[in-house]
Amino acid sequence: MNLQQELQYRTLQRETRRHFLKQCAQGLGSIALGSLIGCGASSTQEEQASAVMESLAAKMPHFAPTAKRIIYLHMAGAPSQLELFDYKPELGKLDGKDCPPSLLEGKKFAFIQGVPKMLGPQAEFKPRGESGMMISDWLPHFSTIADDVSLIRTMHTDEFNHAPAQLLLQTGGPRLGRPSMGSWVTYGLGSDNENLPGFMVLVSGGNTPDAGKSVWGSGFLPSVYQGVQCRSEGDPVLFVSNPEGMSRDLRRNTIDAINKINDKEYQEMGDPEILTRISQYEMSFRMQTSVPEVMDIKDEPAYIHDMYGTEPGKTSFANNCLLARRLVEQGVRFVQLFDWGWDTHGVSEGDSIEGGLKNKCSQVDRPMTALIKDLKQRGLLDETLVVWGGEFGRTPMQENRGGKVWPFKGRDHHTEAFPIWMAGGGVKGGYTHGETDEIGYYGIKDKVHVHDLQATIMHLLGMDHEKFTYFAQGRDFRLTDVAGKVVHKIIA
Amino acid sequence: MNSIYAKWKYLLAAFLSIWFVVWGINAISLENKHRYVPAAILGQEVDFNRDIRPIINKKCIACHGGVKKSGGFSLLFEEEALAVNESGERAIVPGSIRKSELIKRINHRDPEYRMPLEGEPLENEEIALLTKWINQGARWKDHWAYIPPEPQQIPNISDPWIQNDIDKFILSKLNKEKLLPNPKSDRYTLLRRVSLDLTGLPPTLEEMEAFIGDESDSAFEKVVDRLLASPAFGERWAAMWMDMARYADSKGYEADRPRSIWKYRDWLIKAFNDNVPFDQFITLQLAGDLLPNPTDEQLIATAFHRNTMNNDEGGTDNEEYRTVALIDRVNTTWSVLQGTTMECVQCHSHPYDPIRHENFYQSMAFFNQSADADIPSESPTLVQFKEEEDLQKLSRVKNWAATHPGKKDSVYFEKLIRITEPKLHPHYFEQMEKDIPIRGTATFKVTDSVYSFTKEVPLMSEDRIMLRYRADTSVGTLQIRLDNKEGELIGSIPVNRKTKTEYNKEVKKDKIYTINETVSFPVKPISGKRDIYLVLEGNTGLKTECTIEWVLFHHALPGEEESGFEEIARDFHEIFNSTNEKVTTPIMLELKDGYRRKTNVFEKGSWMSHGEQVEPGVPAKWNALTPTMEKNRLGLAQWLTDPDNPLTARVTVNRFWEQLFGLGIVETIEDFGSQGFAPTHPELLDWLALQFVHEHQWDIKKLLKQLVMSATYQQSSHMREDLEQVDPRNQLLARGPRLRLTAEQVRDQALAVSGLLSPKMFGPSVMPEQPEGIWQVVYSGGNKWETSSGEDKYRRALYTFWRRTSPYPSFISFDAPSREVCLPRRIDTNTPLQALVSLNDPVYLETAQGLARRTLESSPEANPEKLIAIMYGFAMARGLDHEKLQDLIELYRQTQVYFDNDPGAICQFTGEEDKELAVMTVMANVIMNLDEFVMKS
Repeated sequence: MNLQQELQYRTLQRETRRHFLKQCAQGLGSIALGSLIGCGASSTQEEQASAVMESLAAKMPHFAPTAKRIIYLHMAGAPSQLELFDYKPELGKLDGKDCPPSLLEGKKFAFIQGVPKMLGPQAEFKPRGESGMMISDWLPHFSTIADDVSLIRTMHTDEFNHAPAQLLLQTGGPRLGRPSMGSWVTYGLGSDNENLPGFMVLVSGGNTPDAGKSVWGSGFLPSVYQGVQCRSEGDPVLFVSNPEGMSRDLRRNTIDAINKINDKEYQEMGDPEILTRISQYEMSFRMQTSVPEVMDIKDEPAYIHDMYGTEPGKTSFANNCLLARRLVEQGVRFVQLFDWGWDTHGVSEGDSIEGGLKNKCSQVDRPMTALIKDLKQRGLLDETLVVWGGEFGRTPMQENRGGKVWPFKGRDHHTEAFPIWMAGGGVKGGYTHGETDEIGYYGIKDKVHVHDLQATIMHLLGMDHEKFTYFAQGRDFRLTDVAGKVVHKIIA
Repeated sequence: MNSIYAKWKYLLAAFLSIWFVVWGINAISLENKHRYVPAAILGQEVDFNRDIRPIINKKCIACHGGVKKSGGFSLLFEEEALAVNESGERAIVPGSIRKSELIKRINHRDPEYRMPLEGEPLENEEIALLTKWINQGARWKDHWAYIPPEPQQIPNISDPWIQNDIDKFILSKLNKEKLLPNPKSDRYTLLRRVSLDLTGLPPTLEEMEAFIGDESDSAFEKVVDRLLASPAFGERWAAMWMDMARYADSKGYEADRPRSIWKYRDWLIKAFNDNVPFDQFITLQLAGDLLPNPTDEQLIATAFHRNTMNNDEGGTDNEEYRTVALIDRVNTTWSVLQGTTMECVQCHSHPYDPIRHENFYQSMAFFNQSADADIPSESPTLVQFKEEEDLQKLSRVKNWAATHPGKKDSVYFEKLIRITEPKLHPHYFEQMEKDIPIRGTATFKVTDSVYSFTKEVPLMSEDRIMLRYRADTSVGTLQIRLDNKEGELIGSIPVNRKTKTEYNKEVKKDKIYTINETVSFPVKPISGKRDIYLVLEGNTGLKTECTIEWVLFHHALPGEEESGFEEIARDFHEIFNSTNEKVTTPIMLELKDGYRRKTNVFEKGSWMSHGEQVEPGVPAKWNALTPTMEKNRLGLAQWLTDPDNPLTARVTVNRFWEQLFGLGIVETIEDFGSQGFAPTHPELLDWLALQFVHEHQWDIKKLLKQLVMSATYQQSSHMREDLEQVDPRNQLLARGPRLRLTAEQVRDQALAVSGLLSPKMFGPSVMPEQPEGIWQVVYSGGNKWETSSGEDKYRRALYTFWRRTSPYPSFISFDAPSREVCLPRRIDTNTPLQALVSLNDPVYLETAQGLARRTLESSPEANPEKLIAIMYGFAMARGLDHEKLQDLIELYRQTQVYFDNDPGAICQFTGEEDKELAVMTVMANVIMNLDEFVMKS
């Protein structure tokens, strides 16, 4: 028996023993969910601890999912709904007028002070596709796929600053310390590719999101579930490249030597953790090729580069969209993109509606459209859920930071209404959900809270968000905290 | 040089002879071992904690507990459980199963009535237990953790294996389980284990030789004493406590700007090294500022609770984030010192444990009087001057105040200069523009058209006002008025624009910048709470704008008429405006009367909805606050360290136990409540806790010595087949601990064995090599990772700059937390990302090269076998098993061939044309990735 076979054999032996040791039925290798089905309300700490070992094997959801994977495109900084997805001709008529006091009473804004002026939509809208979905002229490519997406116009949140709002959206709570959606999903469903992490993160726009890396952190879940950030410069995953002068063959030799000696240590000490270490060194060796391979977009055909607007070697949202497609193709469960730079306050040209926002639109329009089309032509869209949106919306009032009139047009943070669109993974196409009032300030029909969105995403992945819990800090936690209703209307 | 090898041959032989002893332990039949037969079924008395509470917590409390009280019935407190419910029935009538509604309902045939509702019926065994319990009188018992530890009988047991009393507890339990412990570890393993455990560093070869060569009975004890006295001891345990303190060098949240709080880290190291007794250790951290005439060190200790995050994001409400920090202090205190999950109680009564909703806010009331207020400057801070010029000014002012009698003494003026409180912060002020109030965040303004005011300032006849401001012209007068903008004028100062000229790189010429100035001027002394208005007088159309950071009322220096006063007043002014380098550390500081805050319950945990007002207090199940304990943080510390407190000592000995054994006696070291794990050795836990308080007088080094001197600690960590079946996680301790090194130890060990480790202690945090592009945090323009130079590149891990949103990547891979909030227990993982760090991170390659160089320099003449054995010896401080040596030799030969075939790779790999160095660096890279290297056995 060679080392590999022996390792497999011994691991199997150990698993079998464990299986008998545990009184709890574990379903198809699932610890987290098995305990839900077989053993009462929550998994115990002991089960959770041993679950870490088998953490990343693919697991079964609660019920048949319509989406097997997810790509989440988070526009960090919060795009303006009033220029992109929420057509408000009435607001145009109010442009330049004082904001009525009724909109200001009892409200807290990040920067608006005193009485601001109303700001009409700065972009033109037209009905698109067969569905006639109203979409801005600033998204000409995206307008061609209106019939493939569900648009929710009535998202709302509790937090009006970036970091807490991003955390609420991505972790279910506005403070630090909760696991991110991607961590929950990989904890629940595992990974379909044993050569790549199950939860990968790509960042563009020059900065990580305001809330920092906690938005893809594992919180109180074991750290194996945290998102692995892929970088477009330097090593795609930290330290995945061999040092200069060390070939892959030499690395193979060193890992063989390490594993051979570790195996002897196992014979001596009998600690099963040593077997895990041996398999993790093997996985790291596989990642050394699988990660750079999947991250290298040079070999994509010209028409694909053309479609996405990608330039190999650059850090861009376009490159990240193409990478997202490559990652889900390889079975990565959760691909999270963050694109920074959507915070259009109007303090400078770069963060104004007419400058910065328009520019950001032109950066994302083509690649996000290409992503949907590309997934579709590969037959992946049916099983891949794509979600796009910011952490909150923008005010229909023009920002007047410091009580001043600024030379550029900007909008302040707004929690009451913002858009999210979803495509694939079992959601309807050409469907617009919810309605806001005449100026896009409040949702007036079919409002969707951030926790409802999370519940819906979990549902599409086959998970009941109320039953999917983790015991920490003395109680069961779930992604949706104590709230969340599935938005059934958007499900096909 | 050969002599070293000669010694090693000896070590190798000695080692091998120990190594190949076969532990003669027979497998023991464990049939039916784990079938749990409750004692009660056999006719004994039902024990509430053992038999009943688990049923309640699993099956009942979700609906009948601290969160929900369905039907008005709760099982959280005895009085609630025995009370009459909404239905008019009593669920539990002690002694009468006929009258007890609970018994009726759990037996009911109709699922509409049967409890648990919509759930599986209780097991017959559970029903039998509950029935018997009520029959026997329904005796309620507090959860074990709230009953103070009771003196324990040391098991009367003798065995040559036993080294101290700990072993008697362990062995008697093993005997009950029909298990034998492992024999003692070999000396090599033992010294490495205890060195890493006590100092976080591996033993050196010399230390190993000394230990192996010492044949006296006290050889091990001598080693332990040496390690406890080593300066590295404080560094190792400070690193542990820094997780408790959520220590970081940045403030957290959006911009996550740097914070200067490393003095607190240094304080921790010194406190552990000086063996400050644990009761004082926590008293200083919670309330050092409340001690009489606190020293700098005592003030810096209070930075423990200034490690909460501070939100500088524009537009955030300072009061909201002050509250968040306050809540964090409550949670951290309870988690770290009481093993209690207080966070549950923020929103409602505890779901499982006897803590009521208002108890959270009573705890919060202790912390609510600290002057900090989520201000970007992190005030209050303690300033420590470094420049002689500043130190002399300070001493002249102090000296003047000491020699000139006045209302205030020199201590007052030193505090005024170095702490500068109580400040009135911008968010206390309303800025009135066209009669619309605007609340300031980082600053507030007074201009031609804007005045600002703050309400109800508790004035105590101070005769000066100090403010820090900048102005964009030198026109007009800033006036202080009482009660309204036209009210009585009590002081004024001409506006002055202070500037500095600095070369600007972008425009390539000198530029003039407006800068802040701290000024103090006389005001009419007033007593009582009054509204203070700041108004600008003298509009010249120049649109003067004053931007103010803070305002402070204070008393004048004495001796105004004396000669020499002018110089002292100048010193006083200059020291506030000194731009010389100084160290500032955020500290806790109790608000004075008049400035003190009210504390209210937050309904459902929301800071916006205030419920009833509360005073500082503690939950009823705990020891009482005695009349001698003041209702402030000092009183809280006295309460926590009161020998009657049921948890402080238990939680503490358990934490140190966990650090050495991998699992606590209570595994959930953060939760001793009824949802945490029960102790595996309850008697031992209580015995250790009482010893710690009464025998050791809270002496941490004595506690650690007691733990490591036990046979339990010193036994071999070999896994045996019988144990793998019955005790895979080593809860019974029939073998020694075998644990992965912590993130910090992984780095420190690599640096130590490579010879690169800097012994330098203390000082500002350093930036060792880190990949490009890790710090991509928004709005942090100036804050860059600039790799430290010289020995600062090679400092121990605990000195590494810890930025919360982008912590040092290799630490995170090895399970260090981000330190946003306190994480009392790290969970070890074993991932491919860790392998990538130790294989490929340039830091680890540099250490591998260091180890290679060290090996080659020690024995330039040696053959490959010898070289590899020596290298392994440097790494592991012991000899190398023959078979493993063969594997390494094979790799050595392959690697030689590799570099022969590709000589260009040599220089790429090492930066030098030295094949031997390249080959040996590969060998070191392998040895430093072995399981035995990253583990302590």
